[in-house]
Amino acid sequence: MLWLCLRLAHLALDVFPPEALPAVAVERQRVVCANAAAEAAGVRAGLGLAAAMALAPGLVVHERQPERELQWLQALACWAEGFTPQVSLAPPDELLLEIGGCLRYFGGLESLRERVRAGLAEQGLAAVQGLAPTPLAAQWLARAGIENACERQADLRSVLSPVPVEVIDDLDAAALRTLASLGVRRLGDLFALPAAGLQRRFGASLCLQLARAGGELPDPRAAFVFPEQFARQLELPAKVADAAMLQFAARRLLAALAGWLAARASGVARCVFMLEHEDGELPSQLELGFAEATADLSRFARVLQERLGQYRLQAPVWRIVLRADDAAPLAGRDQGLFGQEAAQALAPVIERLRARLGAAAVHGLSVVADHRPECASRVVLQARPGAQADPLPRPLWLLPRPRALPERDGVPLQGGALLRLAGPERIESGWWAEGEARVGDVQRDYFIACNPAGEWLWVFRDAAGWWLQGLFA
Amino acid sequence: MKLQYLAGVVVTSASSLPSLQNVLLRPDVWRGDRFATAPMAAVASGFETLDAELPGGGWPRGALTELLSDAHGLGELSLLQAALRQCAGQAPVALVAPPYLAHAPAWAGCLPLERLLLVQARGADIAWSAEALLGSGALGAMLVWLPVQTDTRCLRRLQLAAEGHPAPVFVFRPLAAARSASPAGLRLVLAGKPEGLQLRILKRRGPPCNVPLLLEVPRPVSRARLLDRMAPGVLAVPYPVEA
Repeated sequence: MLWLCLRLAHLALDVFPPEALPAVAVERQRVVCANAAAEAAGVRAGLGLAAAMALAPGLVVHERQPERELQWLQALACWAEGFTPQVSLAPPDELLLEIGGCLRYFGGLESLRERVRAGLAEQGLAAVQGLAPTPLAAQWLARAGIENACERQADLRSVLSPVPVEVIDDLDAAALRTLASLGVRRLGDLFALPAAGLQRRFGASLCLQLARAGGELPDPRAAFVFPEQFARQLELPAKVADAAMLQFAARRLLAALAGWLAARASGVARCVFMLEHEDGELPSQLELGFAEATADLSRFARVLQERLGQYRLQAPVWRIVLRADDAAPLAGRDQGLFGQEAAQALAPVIERLRARLGAAAVHGLSVVADHRPECASRVVLQARPGAQADPLPRPLWLLPRPRALPERDGVPLQGGALLRLAGPERIESGWWAEGEARVGDVQRDYFIACNPAGEWLWVFRDAAGWWLQGLFA
Repeated sequence: MKLQYLAGVVVTSASSLPSLQNVLLRPDVWRGDRFATAPMAAVASGFETLDAELPGGGWPRGALTELLSDAHGLGELSLLQAALRQCAGQAPVALVAPPYLAHAPAWAGCLPLERLLLVQARGADIAWSAEALLGSGALGAMLVWLPVQTDTRCLRRLQLAAEGHPAPVFVFRPLAAARSASPAGLRLVLAGKPEGLQLRILKRRGPPCNVPLLLEVPRPVSRARLLDRMAPGVLAVPYPVEA
């Protein structure tokens, strides 16, 4: 077993919008977390609110939001499932990942830690990574800010020795004072004391924790239960009226989705953001569509960016929910012999284009067996091979609808008199669709003609006169 | 690596001094009387007379080719047909902002339809889409119809995106664009003539070409018939009166 503890020291503040000014999160009038600007002014965790205000005038104060912190931690747990199936929450600000079984898959410890770091940075978070064979030792190392990996149980005591005793849970101020008066400042000093005496003075909890951290007693952790259906919500730090401001929170949910999908070897072709407004208004929906089922965060993010760039919020949003109902298993990726790489490289671009231009704007073509030119093409998402070309000469371009042409002495005009080159070719079809608005029943004589500008045109004559329909480009 | 400046051109070379030969190997530097060396093998156009006039012997890859004309239906796509069929063998061909609806039965005769990708865009989105598609590096060829108001900056971005992309990129622009400068490596002005499609090479990476080319691009009806009917003294062929 090897446990990686991610300690998000600034989580209490991370759940609020980022501030350039000194900002703190407080709980019961005491600072629990200060940002860099506040720390520069001398504000530390544990300080009273009044003292903090005196040190940093203009301090932005947020009341701590434990529920929101838990939501964020859960979203992170979903994301972490992309690394390992065994994740435990250690509220308020720690996440435990059992990574002993997946080191080889991620190419070793350093590579895995780097991925975790990059993944967190992508979400705008930073964590201290404590690593030890027992979960508690990993937590203690993370709390002490020690990132050196301790991989073997035998090294555990020596690695833990320099860690200050303050990292231990539920040691009250009185106990800490007593320890200090005994000259015990580091865990190493505690290990040197006889267990029976410690238990008598400080209670069973301390000895139990020491034994668990040292691996002498089991330390079972409740595994985080990953949701079977992905629906995660995130309360926004402040009401958001501009769609672009949603990007950050939405990205975090997408990161959670990507991890959740990775753990299931699945992908989604679409997912929906529900944007919840205040005052009982119905939530708005923002749908992200992808060219194929995918679990790639960077593709999610690109499509999100395009969609948000164009989206207009009806009302301020206070909470967003991400739902992905139809996760489908991803086929194992084949390394294609010919051509498939091209399609794979193109798919993300097609998604971006669709997100920006609209889903119908990027398409293929297929042939429909219909003699009426207007009905012979069909717009499809992806054409199938084997389309048959018309054996008769047909123009590459068609006008969106036939354009009426003037006529002089029985000759149609379009930039001059049209010289007849071929025709008539009779197209008479569609009797079953008589009276339909679009094309309907047609009886036309088609000609290929050329105008003085050298344009080769496809014109027809029907009961109503002359029409230009296509161009032989 | 050592950087040296020579007549405003950054030369990177393993040898300490850039010889003139090395400089001339760059695709964007050429002698006034010879063609530039193409960075990638060109795509044969299917017309020998045209290939002989193009640097590299065909449509350039990794550079824009501008086709300027105000008329449609001159045979501007028939001109590219041989090259497109060849390019569609490996990867999709994208049409960005086509001016009309594509008629599937006719396109199916040009290239396999499953290799055809159409992108409907307007205004500034056209160049953006073209750039995004080129960024994928996975196209066989791209045809893009740019509006009149496209500025040089936009074209330069496209040219940069096209560089390194192993596909020919054809940019269709109105004739008015012929007067302004362009970063495209090859610029052609198209005109329809009864004898064939006339090409004037406005710019190429090589000596100027003053003689317009006349190409017999494939047409739905043999050109001889057009010439016969246009011959002086021949009465206009009437359109049959409807029965």
